[in-house]
Order: sequence, then C-alpha cells, then structure tokens
Amino acid sequence: MVQVNQTKLFLRFKFKKIGNLQYISHLDLVRTMHKIIVRAGLPLWYTEGFNPKPKMIFAAPLSIGTESVCEFMDIRLNEYMDPEEAMSRLNANMTAEMQVSEAYYPETKFTDLAWLSYTITVNTTGASPALAEQCNAALNADKVEILKKTKSGEAIVDIRPLIRTADAVFTDGNIRISCVLSADPSSFLNPEYIIKALREKCGILSSNDLTSESYSIMRNSAHLADMSEFK
Amino acid sequence: MQNERISSVLKSVSKPGRYIGAEYNAIIKNKDEVKCRFAFCFPDTYEIGMSNLGVRILYDVINKDKDVWCERVYAPWTDMKEKMEQYSIPLTAVESGDPLSAFDMVAFSLQYEMCYTTTLAMLKLAGFPIWAKDRGEDTPIIIGGGPCVYNPEPVAEFFDLINIGEGEEVLLEICHLYNKMKDEGSYSRTAFLREASHIEGVYIPSLYDVSYNADGTIKEFAPKYPDVPAKIKKRIVADMDEAPYPEKLVMPYIETVHDRIVLEIYRGCIRGCRFCQAGMVYRPIREKSVETLCKQAKCLYDNTGYDEISLISLSISDYSELPSLTDSLLEWTDEKHVSLSLPSLRIDSFSEELMKKVSSVRTGGITFAPEAGTQRLRDVINKNVTEEDLMRSVGIAFRGGKSNVKLYFMNGLPTETLEDIEGIAALSKKVVDAYFALPKPERPKGLGVTISVSCFVPKPFTPFQWEKQDTFDELIKKQEHLRACITDRRIKYTYHDAKVSFVEAVLARGDRRLAPAIARLAEEGRMFDAWDEYFDYDAWIEAFSATGVDPTFYTSRGFGLDEILPWDIIDIGVTKAFLRRERDKAYNGETTPSCAEKCSGCGANKLGGKNRWCK
Repeated sequence: MVQVNQTKLFLRFKFKKIGNLQYISHLDLVRTMHKIIVRAGLPLWYTEGFNPKPKMIFAAPLSIGTESVCEFMDIRLNEYMDPEEAMSRLNANMTAEMQVSEAYYPETKFTDLAWLSYTITVNTTGASPALAEQCNAALNADKVEILKKTKSGEAIVDIRPLIRTADAVFTDGNIRISCVLSADPSSFLNPEYIIKALREKCGILSSNDLTSESYSIMRNSAHLADMSEFK
Repeated sequence: MQNERISSVLKSVSKPGRYIGAEYNAIIKNKDEVKCRFAFCFPDTYEIGMSNLGVRILYDVINKDKDVWCERVYAPWTDMKEKMEQYSIPLTAVESGDPLSAFDMVAFSLQYEMCYTTTLAMLKLAGFPIWAKDRGEDTPIIIGGGPCVYNPEPVAEFFDLINIGEGEEVLLEICHLYNKMKDEGSYSRTAFLREASHIEGVYIPSLYDVSYNADGTIKEFAPKYPDVPAKIKKRIVADMDEAPYPEKLVMPYIETVHDRIVLEIYRGCIRGCRFCQAGMVYRPIREKSVETLCKQAKCLYDNTGYDEISLISLSISDYSELPSLTDSLLEWTDEKHVSLSLPSLRIDSFSEELMKKVSSVRTGGITFAPEAGTQRLRDVINKNVTEEDLMRSVGIAFRGGKSNVKLYFMNGLPTETLEDIEGIAALSKKVVDAYFALPKPERPKGLGVTISVSCFVPKPFTPFQWEKQDTFDELIKKQEHLRACITDRRIKYTYHDAKVSFVEAVLARGDRRLAPAIARLAEEGRMFDAWDEYFDYDAWIEAFSATGVDPTFYTSRGFGLDEILPWDIIDIGVTKAFLRRERDKAYNGETTPSCAEKCSGCGANKLGGKNRWCK
C-alpha cells in the first residue's frame, strides 16, 4: 500500500499507441485521454478555481506517424486507487490500438528519461544487404549532418551525438534500423531525422510512388542515462 | 479497420486522423451476418460530419437493427482526393474500410445547398454514375435526405430515392423492404423503387415527369403511374420521449466542430419568423420531457466522458420546462466539471438566472439575433423582439461579465429600406452606449461588439418563399451603406459574401433544370463550395450559362403567387394557405403570436405528434 500523505498523488501508466493511432497528434491524444479517464471513473484531481483542469503529463510526446509500445502518462489523483484496477478500467474504455500495459505509482521523474529505442523499417527500392551496410556506415560515421529547420531558417546540424547506437540490416526485403536516440527534452532527436539523413546520404525512399515505398517507425523502449529500463 | 491503400498515403496528407476511423464506440458488425450494408455519407469533412446530430441519431437507429450495418463516410479533403485519384483508391467507409461499391444503400445527408458539388464528387470517387438514370443493378441505391431536400428538385435526378422528413423510422422501413424483396427474389432496382414509393416520406424522382410553360415556370408535376403519390408527405417522429436517441457517441480522436454532448431538447419551433425555413419544416413542435432529457444526458456523459453538454433546439429558451431541466442537470454537472451551453438564446427570454446557470461556459461572449435594425422590419419578419429586450439582455450580459456581444442581422429582407440598414448601425451603437452607461466597476474589461450580417435568401416553405432576392448590386450597396453608417471603432462589422448567398438562393429555389450545371461543376472536379477557399462564383455563373440556366429566374425574379413552385410536390404539413396569410400579414406589418400564446392554424397539427401546443 502506498502511503497517501499530503504529497501529490501521481499514478503512471505505460501504454501503446499503434496502428491507425500513429496518426493522432499529441494534442488530440491528451484530449482523448481525458475523456477515457472520465469514462473509466478514475478519481482525477482538478485544479481549484474558476476553470478547473486535470493534471495529465506525458513523457516525450510522439510525432504523427510514429507508433509506440512505451508511452508514459502520469495523472494526478485525488485519492489512492489500486493500479491494477485503474489499468483494467482504462483498458475497457480504449480501443485495441491503445492499451495500458503497466500501471504503478512512479519513483522516477520524466526528466530522468534519457534514451528511447526505435525500430525503423524502410521498404525502399534498391533495398539490399549492400544498401543496409551503406546506411549503417552513414549513421555510424563521425558526423551525421542534416539540414534541419530551425527558428531562423535552415541550418546544418550534426545529429551524431544524439544517436547512441544505430544498426541497419537487410531483412525480409526491407532495411531495418534499430537505434537508440536521445530523449532529453533539450536535445530530443525525432526518429524522422534518421529517415531524413538516410534519404540525403543513401538515397532511400527516392521514388515518388507512395504505394511502392513506405516506412514505419516503432518506439520500443525507454531508458535511463545508464541504459537501464525507465520505469 | 482501415483500407490498406489509404494507409499507404496517410503520411503524405494533412490531418491524417480524419481518415483512420477506429474510434471508440464505433459500431463494427460482421459483414457476412447482415443483410443490408448502409453507407451514411456526409458531403463535407470528417470534423464537420462527425458533429452533425442527425447523422449521430440515424447511425444509432439503423445500427440497432441486427440485419443492417450502417457505416460512416466523409468527403476527403482536396489533398487526399488528389492522392485517391492518382492511385485509383476508391471512396471507402470509415468502419470497415470497404469501398462504397460493397454497399447496398448509400445515403447522403444534405445539410446545406453548397454541399451539392461535394456530394457528386463523392459519387464519382466511389465510381458511381452521378445521374440516377445511368445506374445499373450493380450500383447501390443512392439516397438523399436532410433539410435541403425539402426542395429536392435541383438534385432530384442524382438520387434514386429521397427521404422527406425525419429519417428515424423511414430509413429502416426502406432497408426492411429491400431485405424482404431480396429474400423473396423479387428484387430489381426498378421494382424496389416503385414499391418504395408507397412508403410515406419516400420520394422517387424518376417516377415523375415535370413539364414547363413557355415562360419557364412549371406547368405540371405528374406521377408516371397511378399508384405513385402525387404529393410526398413529410415523415415525423410522433413521440420524442419514445424516439430512439443515442446512448453512446462515436468518439473522434481529432477535434471536431461540435466536440461535445449534444442534447436535442425538442423539435419544431413555436415562433414563426417569416424568413426561417427550419421554423416551418420542423413543425409541429414536439418536446422531450425533463425526465427523458436528464436520463439521456447522464447516459451520454457516462459513455463519452465529454465535459460539455450543449442543449440544442431551434430556440432553447422556448422550452417549456427550461428552469427545471437546467436545475436537474446542474445537480450533477458542476461536481463532474461538466459545463452546460445554450447556443440559441432569444433576447426576450434572456435572464440573469439563465446566464448564471451557463456561466461555466468558458468564453466571455454571448450572441443575440435581432435580425433587423428597426421595429418596423422586425414586425415584418415576425421576430417579435424589441429594442428594450435587446438593451435589457446586453445589460445583463455586461453585468454578468460578458464583454463580447455578437449580434446577427440580415440584409435584403422584404420591404427593407436604407432606414432599416441605418437602424442596424444605430442599434449596435446603443449596445456600446449601454456598456458605458454601466458604472465602471460593474462592467467587464474589453468591450467588443460584433455585428454579423448575412444576406437574405428566400427559402422554400417560408412565408417569404415567393419573394425576390435582392440583386447582387443591391446587396453590395446595402453592405456599403451599413459600413458607412458604423462610425464607432468598437463595433466590428462582418458580412456574408453576397455571391455565395446568390448561388445559395438559386440552389435553394431551383428546379430540375439546375442539375446539369451542378453535374458540370462536379465533372470539372469541383467540391467544397461551402468553404470560402473553394467557392468560385465565376465557375457557377459559367456553368449556369453553359447549361442554359438564367440564375436570376430563381432569385431577383421572385415567384408568382399562383405559380407552381418546384417544391410543391412536398407536403410539410404547414399549408400554402397559411404561408400566404403570413406573407400578407408581413406586408401589413402585423405580427403573429407564438404557438404557446395562440394557435395560428398552420396545418402542421395534421401530422400528429405528441405535444402540448397543437390541438
């Protein structure tokens, strides 16, 4: 039993957001989650005042087009609730593409999250073991420079320090890249930039035919600075 | 369950969340276990279509039948439409991801005239012929319904079947007839449509011949067969307490226009504003009981988790049990952080008490609709509100902390003069003065008065249905005059594009001879005329001219009192004699009391329906 003191009571959920739901923006996810929590009847805490708001915090928001099996949400409750009970109530109010896999009272902060691991699967013309090797080399070079949009126009940025590991292989006719990227809010690396780098350096996904080429990104796991599992 | 081919283009279109479906509360059935697959199409974007109450109700009603699976279909935005055409991806339904060719019935909800091109664009994307006469046995039955089809004629020939009136009962009757004929082996397209014409509220356009006089007016509207009804009587739901209402709502992931619980309080309207089509075609008034409404509201809250409930009807403050309803709802809504909103408040019934109950609504604004600038003209249109009502209401609003007041007016109303236009400016100025008349501590900061002026469109089934619409030049002149009269910079003036109102009037008042022009625009790939960025006045004028249509025949000409009107084939309950009486009273500046005060004999009572006013 968790001790309920005067301290703020946050319950953490680890959930997946896959399939069709990769196309739901972070803002829409927040709105959707609020309604799910209300339907589930969780004892959500609200701010005082004229315009009461719940407290819902998400770790490392996903961008549209990325699937994930390790999203984290903390919600503030106004009374203790058994995590298993909360999880099963939430799951009953969500569709199959978004389900909670773990619920617990957390001991870490979202700022402790340092690395996120992804699997990027690229279905591109010219996919071959040789192309995979080329991608590998490009991502593991001393510098991985890309053209990045910044507040003041475009700039060449080296994303190599934000890539902890990257490994590209040729499998099932696709190039598959397993990588661990920075999740630190001040230097967060969107996995879309890996695609961008490989487009520029290795010429992947160069066809204009959307039905013949495609890629998917899956966020697999979250880690602390020492690469142990983030919980 | 999304169509794989649509998935392949989702990363390259704006707002992909529009196309994914997979929502909580969406109804999924086994397609092999249903007899009839029904595609409910909304000819606009997902965000707009998902907000429509009629679609929500009918989706629920149809799916309650285990033999029928109703799915939703929305218009793809233009970037998606391009991709669909480029990769030969057909239009699909949201639930199953199946193309519309897999369906038995494909129904369109026509909510505004400017959606007609979008409707045809959707038929084309589905791979169906746009003209009913060109469709064979392998095409689904294409159905039209919604408020626009009270004058179905401009689009009649695009539909196999048109539902006149409320669809709760009739759509299922249509499906049942279809299933029965399929089971018996007696089904063919023509046999089915002929049989369906006997269902009350069903109009089969192909079973009628229309002929015209030399002057272009309608000569005759004749059924082709003796068993086909000469007039189509509107269907209504008799008892709103017994009528099905959704217990669950499909929950969109992306934000929709009305992303909240919508609670329909009653149908019809006790007022008789003479420009208002809704006020006539939804008669007779039928209220739900407080008990029913409270049950429905709580149930919807439990099943959706929405934090706002909007009470909907044509004029919410006319609900006879409003205080009791709001009190009952407030018993639990405040505690659950749910706010109530009332979108349609009449100036003459606005009160401090009412405002306090909805003060949890987070915006600082409030909207009123005086509609006309002088008492004379407000009497002509039978608005039955006074300047005193408005001043009292804005005073309450200001004192209650609302600093933004929006006022709706109309330009081009019958008998309107420049003096009436000046009245709009004068009235708005008085609202500003009312604000400054309040002692400083009592008024909220940041006064904003917005006047929004639309252009009058003489709609079918109103006392003004015979009226001419002001010409484009007249409307522009009036808009300019009003601009010149507004001298206070705290008054913000917005007005509707007179070009849109002109095309809207043509389509609202037109007959079958307009169909080739609409078809031509759709063939050119046009859609989304309801969106400013896609409405192209010149394209419409060109289409009219290329198909031999003089659009002013339907607008600035006006219709003769003895003329056969394109919509005379429809019986809405309210009689033509009543509309004529109301028209005459308008010209005499006489008002008509509301149904609550005195029955004016409109004729809608013959449709039946449980209500407290009609005898």
